[in-house]
Parts: sequence; C-alpha cells; structure tokens
Amino acid sequence: MDPEREEKRVDERIRAAYRQPSATDEPARERLIARLASERTPRAGGLRGWFAVREYHARPVWVFATLVAVLAAGSWLGARFAGRHAPIAMAPVAGPSDASTLPVTFVLRAPGATRVAVVGDFNNWDASATPMAHSGSGDLWVLNLRLPRGVHLYSFVLDGSEWRPDPAAPLAADGSFGGHNSVIVVDGAGGL
Amino acid sequence: MNRTLALCLALAVATAARADEGSDEARLNARLAPEVAHQVSTLVNEARAAGLPTDPLIARAFEGASRGADAAGIVNGVRRQSSAQASARGALGPGSQPDEIVAGASALLAGVPADSLSHLRLARAGGSLVIPLVVLCDLVARGVPADVASVAVVTAARAGATDNVLLRIRERIHTGIENGGAPAGTTGEVVRQWLRMTAGRGRHGEGPGGESKRKTP
Repeated sequence: MDPEREEKRVDERIRAAYRQPSATDEPARERLIARLASERTPRAGGLRGWFAVREYHARPVWVFATLVAVLAAGSWLGARFAGRHAPIAMAPVAGPSDASTLPVTFVLRAPGATRVAVVGDFNNWDASATPMAHSGSGDLWVLNLRLPRGVHLYSFVLDGSEWRPDPAAPLAADGSFGGHNSVIVVDGAGGL
Repeated sequence: MNRTLALCLALAVATAARADEGSDEARLNARLAPEVAHQVSTLVNEARAAGLPTDPLIARAFEGASRGADAAGIVNGVRRQSSAQASARGALGPGSQPDEIVAGASALLAGVPADSLSHLRLARAGGSLVIPLVVLCDLVARGVPADVASVAVVTAARAGATDNVLLRIRERIHTGIENGGAPAGTTGEVVRQWLRMTAGRGRHGEGPGGESKRKTP
C-alpha cells in the first residue's frame, strides 16, 4: 500500500477517536457531586485564617497608587543604603541567564602571553574581573560570558599591561585614551 | 483622584531618577578620585537630563582609569563621549534608539561627518542603524577615508543591503586592505561589485561572494 495513504488513514483514525464522546459513568458522577456538596466550607479563624481564601474590594486607582508608593520608597531606600554599603557591582562575569543576556565567546590567539583578560563596558573595564582561560594547547585563550543585549566596547589585556583590540571584530573609534577598542553587538540575530 | 495618581507617578519618576543618580555616583566614587568622580558625575547628570544614554559615559571614565589616563584625560574623554552622543542623536533624529546613539557617537568620534548619519537614517528609514554605523566606524578606523566610507555604506544601505550584507562587505574590504589594497580603492571596488551583482536581481541581494542566504528574522 502507498505509505502516504496509509499514514493518512492512521491519522484519520486517530482524529476520529478523539472526536468520539467519552463514556459517562452516571453513578460515579452523582457520587462526586454529593461528596462535594457535603464538604464543609473551611473556617477562617485562628491560624487557618491566614491561609483561607478571602474576597476583598478595592478601587484599582488606590491599588496602583499604593504600589507606586511602595516601589518608590523601596527604590529610594535601596539607593540610599546601596550607596553607603555596597557601592559597586564590579563583575557581572556570568551574568543572570535570563532573556536579556546572551552567551558570547571571546577567543584570542596570543603567543607568549601568560595572562589574558577581557575588559569592556560590561565589567567596568576591570582587568581582574574576567580572565580568559588558556585552551591548553597552542596559543588560544577563551572566555564564555553572558552579555546584555546591545552594543558593547571591549579589548583584550595581555599580561596586565598590553591592550589589544579583537582582530576578528569591528573597531570602535579611538576613545581619547590612545587605542582602539572592539565592538560587539549582542542582539540574538546573528549580530557581530 | 487624577491629581493623586499624577502625584504618585511624579513621585515615582523623581525617586527613580534620584536612585539612578545615587547609584551612578556610588559607582564612580568607588573607582575614581573624588574630584574626578564629581566632575564625571556632573556630566552624567547633564546627559541624563538631556535624555542621553549615561552608561557609556561611566564606562568611558572607567576605561580611562583602567588605561591609566590622568584626571583631566578621563574628564575630557567623558565630555567628548557625551558631546558625540548629543551630536549623534541630533543627526539621527529624536526617535533614535540608545544603541544607535552610542554607535553613532563612535562613528562621529572616528571622524565620520554628522550629515552621513542623517543620510544613513534616510536610506534606512524605520530600520535599525546599529550595524551600518558599526561598519562605517570600523571602515574609518581601518584607514578608509571618512567620506569614502560614508558614501559606500549609505549607497549600500540605499540599495537595500541588509545587516548581513554590510558585514560581508566589511569583511571583504578588511581582507582586501590586509592583502595590500588601498583602503579607499578597495572599499569602492567591493561596493561597486556588490551593486553590480544585485542590479540583475533587484534589491536585497545577499552578495558579495555569491551567497543567497537571507537573514532569518
């Protein structure tokens, strides 16, 4: 038999099976209804009251205003205390793996280098934040990161002092400090 | 009721701006000398008030510190970045996305004339200019004269070149220059070649190189 026709026939049988009404068990249904009807509504007193379902009435505008006020207060307090006690988040090395970040791999061939790091706007240009790993053979250095979507500038730092742009990436303008950076566009659509 | 709502919203916006300022200042103080941090913070707040991206300014200050620039150099670098962003937004139009402004600022700092950015916007109305601006900046940084690079990218964009095509054109030019070609001549030749190839196929051809892959959405 033609395999295509056979496949269509099987497909139609499956569809037909789904269209058939399910057999009903009337006594069982009645027992279930009776049991549900006889169950008592849980009392909402004492500790159980905290877990009971309740119904409230509120005007949406006041709910929204309260939400805004709470958020504003939280934001203000957060900024105030973050500024005093936790001033800086230096290294989003392996940043949150949510939809706003995407995995990026940096690779550099650097013969003779003993240390290589990536510096960029994603790690506050801190040469100690994201060291690259030696690949184990040859002169390749590799680093996997998750970066936020958008345009990022970066460079490689060899042995703590020599800055070098990525030979495989587009160059950015010389940003006033004597040396080009590279550009990466993280957009999830091929980018750079 | 509406007044209450408006008041709450205004409070939230003002508080968020204050939180941003405080957070930026803390980041700058943690890394820079107090006087430098203060000057940079002033520039950052001015940029924020003007609706410009502020993270690139802070990043520029940190880059300067990491590269060992002195205080004046760092502040000057941040000021140049801020000024370039303002010019880029002016040239690209008020609806420009932050990434476009950052890429446009980089192109301007590389020496691309501001009107090239406006021409690029017209050539690709409604589409993102990030990749065209990155390609333009890269070409100039590799020694292609700014006017030649601008004409090349604007012409290609006007002819319907996608981001993928522009990136491939950039690679071709880069290879040509590495192999000893003159930057201006190589750029003109690669773009002319692509235009010839696409002329027979209509717009959106995906050369050079004979490929006909389309960019997936």
